[in-house]
Amino acid sequence: MSRLLPMIILLCFAFPIEGLAKTVDETEIDERVREIAKHLRCTVCQTENIWESGAPLAHQMRDVVRERVTLGHSNEDILIYFHSRYGDYIMMEPPKHGFNWLIWLGPFLLLLGGGVLLAREIKGWVTRTPAPPTEVLPPLDEESRRRIEQELQP
Amino acid sequence: MTRTTQITILVVLLALLSLFYQGLWGDPRHIPPVLVGTQAPIFQGPDVESGEPLSSEQFKGKVILVNFWASWCQECKVEHEDLLRLHEEFKDHPEFVMLGINYQDEVPKARAYLKQYGSSFPHMRDVKGALAIDFGVYGVPETFVIDQQGVIRHKWIGPIVGDVYTNLTKNILTPLLKGTEPTT
Repeated sequence: MSRLLPMIILLCFAFPIEGLAKTVDETEIDERVREIAKHLRCTVCQTENIWESGAPLAHQMRDVVRERVTLGHSNEDILIYFHSRYGDYIMMEPPKHGFNWLIWLGPFLLLLGGGVLLAREIKGWVTRTPAPPTEVLPPLDEESRRRIEQELQP
Repeated sequence: MTRTTQITILVVLLALLSLFYQGLWGDPRHIPPVLVGTQAPIFQGPDVESGEPLSSEQFKGKVILVNFWASWCQECKVEHEDLLRLHEEFKDHPEFVMLGINYQDEVPKARAYLKQYGSSFPHMRDVKGALAIDFGVYGVPETFVIDQQGVIRHKWIGPIVGDVYTNLTKNILTPLLKGTEPTT
């Protein structure tokens, strides 16, 4: 019995370690699937990624992602595969080339254009505001001065 | 700000808004297909009716018309009669093959559909939906034409009826089967 005891203890440790290793692997695969799926647009629901979408096609796409991750494909390879099937439309972030630059730069251009227009408008308002009179007023005559001084007396 | 500047700004803003709208909520059928002109994927799966394995390799060197369909799809019912007519028109050509791919469906429902509406060419089951993804399918019906060299030459999203049918038969299939360049 004393000879078997170390073996029993070893077995007790061996099985949980194996189970733990599987859990860690599975979690890593899940994380990668989620990471990739969030970059891919659901083509039938259009404004959701395939991770968040409940559409059957999105579900099948997630399965394809999982299958390729399990086969050892890199994240980039999987994204390239989907892009080769559906083009730019599948990417949640449109690739930075050609006409897509409008999507990336459009908001900044609008902001810049808006800023320039606003500056021009403000400048216009300032220019159109009448300037204070610059003419020199005639000095007070002696009688008026005296009356003001009297009125100011407590 | 002058009147011309105001109108220019309004036009630019409306153009940008329409572009964003088209990009975010537009109909995917208007998106240019990226697979046309590329090598078609090799595909295989069980026959819907017999369960026997089918593969695109069996049809190598032929013009293959691939039609994705489902029993729950209303537009597929609309085009079904025309598909049967198209098969009837070209079936005797030794280089022509027509293949249906049943997408996101249940076998009994798919079989019942074929029994009800008729079937004159083989239909393959897309078991996990992977075939549809390989073909960049958005929904059904979608139709592809693959030439003798295995290159995808044409894709159509929507039913094959009316002018679409005429264009497909006259401008795509007939020239390909004659060995000439198809016109769009």
